Amino acid sequence: MGVRVLLIVLAVIFVLSVLALLFTPKGPNQAVIRTSIVLTLACCYLMWAITYMCQMNPLISPERVERIKNN
Amino acid sequence: MASENKLPETTFLRSDVMSLAQFYIPSEISKQTIGALGELGLVQFRDLNKDVNAFQRTFVSDIRHYDEVSRQIRFLKSQIEREDIKIAKAEATGATSSPKELEDLEQKISETEKVVIELNENQRTLDKRYLELTEMRHVIKVTDEFFESSNVKDIQENNLTSESTTGLLKEENNAADLEAGKKSTVSFVAGVIPRTKINSFERLLWRMLRGNLYMKNAEIEEPIKDPETNELVEKNVFIVFVHGQVLLNKIKKLCESCGATVYPVSESAEQRNEESIEVLARIEDLDQVLNNTRDTRMNKLRDIAKNIDAWNTVVRKEKAIYHVMNLLKTDKNSMIAEGWVPTNKIPEIQQRIREAAESTGSNVTPIMNEVTYKSVPPTYNVTNKFTKCFQSIVDSYGVANYREINPALYTIITFPFLFAVMFGDLGHGVLMFLAALAMVLFEKKLANFKNEIFDMVFSGRYVILLMGLFSIFTGLVYNDCFSKPLSIFNTKNFDFVATSDPFEEEERGTFVNQVGNHISGNVYAFGLDPAWVSAENKLLFQNSYKMKLSVVLGVIHMLFGTIISFFNYTHRKSISSILLVFIPELLYMGSIFGYLAFCIVYKWCTDWSGANPPSLMNMLINMFLSPGSVNEEEKLYNGQGIIQLVLLLIAVVSIPILLLGKPIAQKIANKKTVEELPIENEVVAISERDYKKPEWSFADAFINQAVHTIEYCLSGISHTASYLRLWALSLAHGQLSEVLWDMLLNNVLKMDLNVVIKGIALFLIIGAWLGLTVAILLIMEGLSAFLHALRLHWVEFNSKFYKGEGYKFVPFSFRKILKKEEN
Repeated sequence: MGVRVLLIVLAVIFVLSVLALLFTPKGPNQAVIRTSIVLTLACCYLMWAITYMCQMNPLISPERVERIKNN
Repeated sequence: MASENKLPETTFLRSDVMSLAQFYIPSEISKQTIGALGELGLVQFRDLNKDVNAFQRTFVSDIRHYDEVSRQIRFLKSQIEREDIKIAKAEATGATSSPKELEDLEQKISETEKVVIELNENQRTLDKRYLELTEMRHVIKVTDEFFESSNVKDIQENNLTSESTTGLLKEENNAADLEAGKKSTVSFVAGVIPRTKINSFERLLWRMLRGNLYMKNAEIEEPIKDPETNELVEKNVFIVFVHGQVLLNKIKKLCESCGATVYPVSESAEQRNEESIEVLARIEDLDQVLNNTRDTRMNKLRDIAKNIDAWNTVVRKEKAIYHVMNLLKTDKNSMIAEGWVPTNKIPEIQQRIREAAESTGSNVTPIMNEVTYKSVPPTYNVTNKFTKCFQSIVDSYGVANYREINPALYTIITFPFLFAVMFGDLGHGVLMFLAALAMVLFEKKLANFKNEIFDMVFSGRYVILLMGLFSIFTGLVYNDCFSKPLSIFNTKNFDFVATSDPFEEEERGTFVNQVGNHISGNVYAFGLDPAWVSAENKLLFQNSYKMKLSVVLGVIHMLFGTIISFFNYTHRKSISSILLVFIPELLYMGSIFGYLAFCIVYKWCTDWSGANPPSLMNMLINMFLSPGSVNEEEKLYNGQGIIQLVLLLIAVVSIPILLLGKPIAQKIANKKTVEELPIENEVVAISERDYKKPEWSFADAFINQAVHTIEYCLSGISHTASYLRLWALSLAHGQLSEVLWDMLLNNVLKMDLNVVIKGIALFLIIGAWLGLTVAILLIMEGLSAFLHALRLHWVEFNSKFYKGEGYKFVPFSFRKILKKEEN
């Protein structure tokens, strides 16, 4: 389940990047728009993926103090 | 059109392709042509008279002349500013003025200056006269009062009494003196003196006359305006009685040296009365004249204020044109100019100079040719208002070499992203985004607002906008909004079981300690699980997560930088650099630090339940200390020993290749190339005549490469460690916002109070909390995260591919010259 999600999202990001590369209008700002979109997708994916991966097999367990009855 | 070569495109990736252009400009239209180029602002002229001293150039006298005109304008401006009259902005004027217009303008300016000086002179004389009359009036008034009071008669009868009223010095007067004085007539001097000097004046008088005087002074209530300095001065009227003409003259001299003014006042009351009436009448007359003069002067200045900016613009342009013309070479009837131009702008420039020539009605046109060059052209990165700030972030590290890949392109995203990793908080991100959004939306209105600190923030508004947006994203990933978690997805990933007996806490309820067992396969879909964010041991988890996050991001960032260097080498078609620099660098970085990042990810993706997870730190150390063997207990995967050995060998082998490869390859290449003989017929640009090919020596090349190798290999370690700042800062930011919440808001929320009082307390505390959040967390923390992101880009990222040894394209442009003067 875990790794598959990572790969599926990666594929989606990849497709989006290709679409961005294909459909950016020509002009002096083409390079800026293309690079910005692809880099944004890459950065956000990395951030999400790292966070997702580190929670797949946690080595420690969360501890908390829970209120079970109000006064 | 098909025959024309395709013009190179402008992209943000690399600086524009430049050409060296040579202009032949007929002398009679040279000024108009240079003026037209200045309006266009696309040519950087090169100095063709390098051997001529700055004072001996052709147009020095013209520049001096315009310096004088500038001085006149500055004088007029200062006069206008002193009267607080607003100077009207001139609309941008197009074409350069004709010589006739210029001459008229200069005449007008110098005439205006004369008129203003004359008016000033007039006013000063009148002011002075007015001052004298006012002071006179005060003197008469005070003298009057003084003579009317009783003790004057005594003085006149007894001459000077033994008691001095100066009050400053109490000394017994010489009786003999008094006896002698009885017979002589007593005369007096009256005048006005600044209040600050009255004491020293008194003392001096006393000493000079050895006490043989009677002095009285009175303060003038309203301060008097000094016409020279325009300042208000507080003054006193004084009257001094002494014997004899000699002493009187002495006193008058002393008055002069002390800055006092003496006024002739008659002794008899009737005469004084007449004088007083006369003075009053004259003051009235003068008042009228003074008002008229003032009005005339103000009207004149107001008139000037309407035009002065336009005059200034014309004069500045003329001066700039002559400065450029000093760079040109004179050749019979024409002038030769050479300068760098962006290749794709050549048609535009050609059209513009043709138009300029036509507009003068001359039948000759300037000629523009492209010439070959060997020296390095300037770097011209075309920016817009969005990319400008990112470009300046990069340029303050170093201007890119000609046609080198421009890091600003990547900085647009990676800079705000790395900032946001350190600044991850949804709430703070939203606040920052809104502030920047306001600056972007009201861009036009705010552009005129002048304040140094605001200008700095304002020029970076698009950077701040993106920083805010990315902070919102990383805030969501960290699941952190003003230090509180959001539960967007309501999935249950942990099975909480009690680990202790329920215990009661005073007045608050019954609690129990719980520990959450991970439900295998369930992972919080986006960001950190709220179970982690509100856990007691959240720091333990976050530390490990954020540390590994920063290492992985750092390694990827650095590998990305190394890969970009590949495109710099392909652009220069330097295969040896790719083989001997790029590939060893990539292998070295990849086999050690890339491998570390891989291991981090691999460890995360493996289910360690039941097994003992190995420590990555020990693994990396052992990879160097005992290559080829891995402890059975600390094994990450099968075949680890062999793979690590191979990676280590790759890294070790790539170092000598990196060190020696390139210098040796260059030496071989240098032997092969035969010295090129200059082609006879080639048009050589004047500015290229003294070009010398940079000399290559093996020793230099080797030392350079050695420095680069040492830097790259050692800095691999230190740079990776440097990315840990991402972890440290984001942790600090999270902790600080949590402390702020707990100390302020939470304390009040927990309080058991009357609803009304609690409401008021809450209102106040929210204000304090918000103020501190903005001041400490947004501004201070934001600034520190900004600086760290800056460093990561300048040092860690740019050093992988960026030379930054170029120089900027500075075209001759009136717009820039005029803008520079404004600031």
